[in-house]
Amino acid sequence: MERIKLNGRLTVEDINSLPEIPVEGINYEQIYIEKEPLCPEYVPPDETIISSAKRSVVIDPCRLCMPFGAMWASVGVHKCISFVQGAQGCATYPRYTFCRVFREPVSIATASFHEDTAVFGGQKNLVEGIRNLICRYQPEIISIVTVCSSEIIGDDMQGYLDEAKGKLEEEFGPEILDRVKFVITNTPSFAGSHVEGYNRAAKSFLQAFARKRNPSNKVNIIPGMITPGDIREIKHILRLMDIEGIILFDISGTLDCPLRLPQSMPYYPKGGTKLPEIADMANSLATFALSQDEGGAGAAYLEKRFEIPAIVGPLPLGIYSTDRLVKKLAEVTGKPIPEELKDERGILLDAMADTFHYTMMRRVAICGDPDIVAAATRFASELGMEPAVILSGTQSKVFEQEVRAVAEEYNFEPTIFNGGDMFEWEDFIKREKIDLILGNSKATNISKEAGIPLVRIGFPIYDRVGYQRRANVGYRGGEYLLDLMVNTILDSKFPDDRVHQ
Amino acid sequence: MPIPEVYELECDRCIPERYKHMVLSNREQPVIPACNIKTVPGDMTERGCAFAGARGVVGGPIGDCIQIIHSPSGCAWYQWGTRRNLSTIYNWSGPGKLCNDSHNRRRAITTDLKEEDVVFGGVKKLKNACLEAWRLTPGAGGILIYTTCTSGLIGDDCHAVAREVEKEIGKPVFVIEAPGFCGVSQSKGHHEFNVQFYKQMAEYREKHPEVCLREEDKTPYDMNIIGEFNMDWDLALIKPLFEKLGCRIVTVFTGGERMDNLLKMPDAKLNVLHCQRSCTYISDLIKQGYEVPYVRASFFGIEQTAKALRDVAKFFKSEEMMDRAEQIIDKETKAITPALNFYREKLAGKKVGLYVGGPRVWHWPKVMKELGMEVVFGMCTFAHEDDYEKINARAEDGLFLVDAPNEFEIEECLERFKPDLFLTGLKEKYLARKFGVPTVNSHSYEKGPYAMFRGLINFARDIYQGIYAPVWKFTRDEDFTR
Repeated sequence: MERIKLNGRLTVEDINSLPEIPVEGINYEQIYIEKEPLCPEYVPPDETIISSAKRSVVIDPCRLCMPFGAMWASVGVHKCISFVQGAQGCATYPRYTFCRVFREPVSIATASFHEDTAVFGGQKNLVEGIRNLICRYQPEIISIVTVCSSEIIGDDMQGYLDEAKGKLEEEFGPEILDRVKFVITNTPSFAGSHVEGYNRAAKSFLQAFARKRNPSNKVNIIPGMITPGDIREIKHILRLMDIEGIILFDISGTLDCPLRLPQSMPYYPKGGTKLPEIADMANSLATFALSQDEGGAGAAYLEKRFEIPAIVGPLPLGIYSTDRLVKKLAEVTGKPIPEELKDERGILLDAMADTFHYTMMRRVAICGDPDIVAAATRFASELGMEPAVILSGTQSKVFEQEVRAVAEEYNFEPTIFNGGDMFEWEDFIKREKIDLILGNSKATNISKEAGIPLVRIGFPIYDRVGYQRRANVGYRGGEYLLDLMVNTILDSKFPDDRVHQ
Repeated sequence: MPIPEVYELECDRCIPERYKHMVLSNREQPVIPACNIKTVPGDMTERGCAFAGARGVVGGPIGDCIQIIHSPSGCAWYQWGTRRNLSTIYNWSGPGKLCNDSHNRRRAITTDLKEEDVVFGGVKKLKNACLEAWRLTPGAGGILIYTTCTSGLIGDDCHAVAREVEKEIGKPVFVIEAPGFCGVSQSKGHHEFNVQFYKQMAEYREKHPEVCLREEDKTPYDMNIIGEFNMDWDLALIKPLFEKLGCRIVTVFTGGERMDNLLKMPDAKLNVLHCQRSCTYISDLIKQGYEVPYVRASFFGIEQTAKALRDVAKFFKSEEMMDRAEQIIDKETKAITPALNFYREKLAGKKVGLYVGGPRVWHWPKVMKELGMEVVFGMCTFAHEDDYEKINARAEDGLFLVDAPNEFEIEECLERFKPDLFLTGLKEKYLARKFGVPTVNSHSYEKGPYAMFRGLINFARDIYQGIYAPVWKFTRDEDFTR
């Protein structure tokens, strides 16, 4: 069979005139499609409005909506289902995002707002919806999450919930309220991003469930929006140090689950933080909020309400930040830093010693959520790299302070976009000399267009597999991330004859 | 006709109104479930919102417009580069280099409404945003503004903004108002896009007659393809066959199309309507307003694609075209027969569960039959009565149908009917896999195109790969499942 080749691919005409289609079929990627430019000639963007501060329009926001963060938190709790008080898209879009990133099923219920709700409010939807959710799924916790519409309409969530509880008692008897608990998180998206949503959920869950009993020797960990692999690494560190920890919003057992038959119905992942664990967080030695903007509010609440010391940030990524976590853990619990952990640290240092000729003075561009971007900025600096342009999609005071502190310590002058959009970040990358990009999947197009390699970190990563299973935090996570970065640099910056020794 | 008790799903015992959404199909006397009605709150529906239907499905594929989402940034983020509705139109990424992704998927553009906008209104911000986006996107064919829950509830007069911006930029600026809470599902968004786009297109043509197709440029065989969104380049297989037939395609509504061409839609002689759920509305409006008739078509499988070609040839009453249709059908069938035979042998007797938005549940039963497979249940997210009529007509009698299914019902159907494969979307596929059932993404495809004769082989291959992937045999090892 004769095939006409053009750029290694078949034109539309070729495909339609092949006398026989092979068994393997002819896929989209084999079709040669002639691209047409939107505009005949390239016109450089109008310099006066490249900066997001100088325009109203936001192009390529590096932030999701506030309810999403609260839903993320809820997914990390055992047999907890979010009930989204809004239109169906407010549940379906986030579900789509979770599924796409984690390749796992995620259950999120919706109040299904329709036109009449916009006029009369969502009272009926909540009362009926909670009832239906309970009678079919028997969740242990229902996490009620408001959205733009219910906030604008002014739904009285506590009032509606009280009514719903009354109806539940009537139908199912008073013991139903012992079996299911409720928490409300207000998350109007026009007031903040997913980062704030997670932060608010940390506080609302602790407010709802943390209860003072006998003091324990445990430590609380509020991880922030890190991956299941990251959380497993934190648990590994705690295990090595012989510390019992309570991880709030533990997605490691809910968003990276085994395929094991037979499956029970309805599908519930085995993991997630259990209600008694959340209750017990009022009795721990200290709270470590690993991400200041994603969970700091929870730690602050426990400190204020139960006098549990709050140790907030930085995300333990790289040497300094992981050291800080380990030292603080030792200090708080009185446990020594174990040999094994010192070895793990040593292995990361060894890897750094072996690779600094590849990493030193490389200019990197970083984007993502504030905590991970600040932490990655520090780690890149520890490798002798120079963070040149740093974007936090969500505006954050702490982020800017932390990045400025790192810049001063390591003596570089970064361009910082605090709460900016990816359009201005992209423009900088395309104009300036950048060697490496650290960012999420939304940076893929920029990386390909600018011809600058991308190492994927943060959220969301949907165009590669396995990232949710790998850790970037801790010494071993740092080692993995270092390997990724160095190998990427070797691939793109070094001819083959320079990498043989 | 109520569903026989043995078919009532256990998970719905405490929401009996769900049983109205379940029927067994019948060719003689079509049975229509309760459909296109409000979702039961809290039932774990799979439905999306009207905004998703308008922006994501119908408007999203338009190739050369600036599509501005008047909302907090979340809504814009979610529709950014998700559906694989592809186009040839690419923006510049720099001097001499085009972007890595087509213009319609490359960026998310939004007014990013904040608290003060909710209180004081977002009209001024919207106008600025439109003009700035216009300056930053040279060559764009126009602007489409979408409202969402937030902008819908604060009641911004977006049309006033559109008229002002249109005057300044000299290109069409259309507003699509489909806030998430309107209607019962994403289907309302399809509907609203159709009606509002049609109205604004008609007005624009009246004000600017120069955008219409000139008399001297018309041919006797001008047709449009309506309701085709170019998933994974389906159009690379659809367009050429109609061109071989002797037709000229004026515009595609909306897969990868330019605004200039969309404005010429009413100037064709015929509309060929593929997605009959999302785009019958505009076909009807064009028929009423411009007397352009339409024929309904399915571009999936051998029999249906052949019928589509024959129907178009018949419409144009050209003997020559009818002959050509037969030649094309003959040649195409021959081209795929060897590969098809391979898959028919592998797939014979395999059971498949079908769950798509609506139309594909009636586009595909015949395709499954052509592959030798048996459909064991069908589900639709947002189908209306006419969709269920078609399913009744095209499926084998007694097919169990569930309207607007939810997560639990899907689980129960997978366990009850034990399909060898589940044709479904992204959200549901991970659930199905946890129950050991392979899936093929039936919205954005796995490795398309799936349309027409040649696409059928890709479809069959992905189904085959699903069923025959070695992983499934390991999941059933009894030493690990006890």
